[in-house]
Amino acid sequence: MSEPIISIRGVHKYFGKVHALCGLDLDIYRGEVVVIVGPSGSGKSTLLRCINRLENYDRGKIVVDGIPLDNARNINAVRRDVGMVFQSFNLFSHLTVLDNLMLAQRVVRKRPSTEARQTALALLKKVGIPDKAGAKPAQLSGGQQQRVAIARALAMNPKVMLFDEPTSALDPEMIKEVLEVMLALAAEGMTMAVVSHEMGFTRAAAKRVIFMDEGQILEQASPDVLFSNPQHERTRQFLGKILSH
Amino acid sequence: MLSGSMSTPDRPHIPKEELDHIPGAERSTRIDVWWWLVVLVVGITVLLLFAWPDPFMNIFKFVQDGIVITITVTLVSFVLVLIVGMIGGLGRLSNKRSIYVISTLYVELVRGVPLLVQLIIWYFAVPVMIQSLGKVWNLPSLENFQADPVVMAIIGLVFCYGAYMSEIYRAGIQSIPKGQMEAARSLGMTYFQSMRHVVLPQAVRVILPPIGNEFIALLKDSSLVSVVAVADLTRRGREYASIHFDPIEVWMLVALLYLIMTLFSARVVNWIEKKTKFER
Repeated sequence: MSEPIISIRGVHKYFGKVHALCGLDLDIYRGEVVVIVGPSGSGKSTLLRCINRLENYDRGKIVVDGIPLDNARNINAVRRDVGMVFQSFNLFSHLTVLDNLMLAQRVVRKRPSTEARQTALALLKKVGIPDKAGAKPAQLSGGQQQRVAIARALAMNPKVMLFDEPTSALDPEMIKEVLEVMLALAAEGMTMAVVSHEMGFTRAAAKRVIFMDEGQILEQASPDVLFSNPQHERTRQFLGKILSH
Repeated sequence: MLSGSMSTPDRPHIPKEELDHIPGAERSTRIDVWWWLVVLVVGITVLLLFAWPDPFMNIFKFVQDGIVITITVTLVSFVLVLIVGMIGGLGRLSNKRSIYVISTLYVELVRGVPLLVQLIIWYFAVPVMIQSLGKVWNLPSLENFQADPVVMAIIGLVFCYGAYMSEIYRAGIQSIPKGQMEAARSLGMTYFQSMRHVVLPQAVRVILPPIGNEFIALLKDSSLVSVVAVADLTRRGREYASIHFDPIEVWMLVALLYLIMTLFSARVVNWIEKKTKFER
């Protein structure tokens, strides 16, 4: 395999006395879809948030596409190329959907407004809500908001997309529309790191499933292997709980 | 007011007669009765001026340049207070310890000293300090420093009100969910870009009512500058009263003039609040 696009080496993170990440190593390769599962408090979201340095880590090294995350300039450079989707959508509530998609393109990428608008409208079409360009986020359903959030991240032409429990705050009906967008993205070859317990999506799209517990990666394998034949007792227990329904 | 509530396109049109039957939507509340208070106070003032031109019109003519000074000092100070408050508020939220400590010291110290005392320090003590520093360092430009009353008064007001405004900004920024900043940062925007385009525009809507209150308080507190040789409305009133010995008429008119300005400002603030509420 070629060079990893994300390389995480020996990363430690403490929240006060809590050791949230305990010397974690992980490589993610170009075009790979990695799903991270694990019990709550196991450090999945923290790990994801370290990749674009929304969370500071105390020791270790993370390199994204050749850029080490060690100073403010590099961190901003990495963030430009790494899209992130949050559990609570975090759309800019004072802006219309269109402006949500255009803001960072103009401020960060310095694209002229006509170009930014074209990109935004094309992406809204892609996520299936071309008619909502003029709406405010509060006027949209949760599923629509999350699709706008995905489009907002895509508007920056990211090399990697991070998804932090993108469907956890959604009604079952809306989960499907968001997962469809994510599946389409995976099919296009987007590199994705996803924290999610959506097993259907994982089976269909994930190349690798990573099981985390207590700040460590306990085991990782393709979904088929991990789900049918987990090596650790802890993994077995956890998967037993989430696969049973 | 009625048209304001109808501006959103998907809001159903409700006929006027029906609105009258909905509690809180009666025509009287929609017209905003407090505008009548403004009209009433203006009416009384105009009546006094024209029914008894002596002494009221004479007083008015004497103090009118003071009204201009009061309005100028208030408006200039307020614009500067908005800027100082924003810097102070951001400082109070800074991760950098030195910036946090400096802005916190500023806010806590300034809020603990009466405004009148601060104004006196700025006009009477600071110039002497500058002059003696000029002597020590042998700089004639500092040694001959002469304080301009209006400039020193504005500095004093801005310094004091900036501290209160810092706390308002801080509270407003803190009221915006963290996720907004995180989303902006995750798109590669810098801290200041995120503040300017995402957090502050939302925070300003939250803090508009307290900012309006600060404006009115500043307008009233600007009367304190009369003790540091600024010829504002209050000082001009005192000058007239000491010449003509008619304190009742003078201070009645001065109070009415302040009342017109504050009531009018309060209505404008209220109107802006209503306007912005519909956009949320």
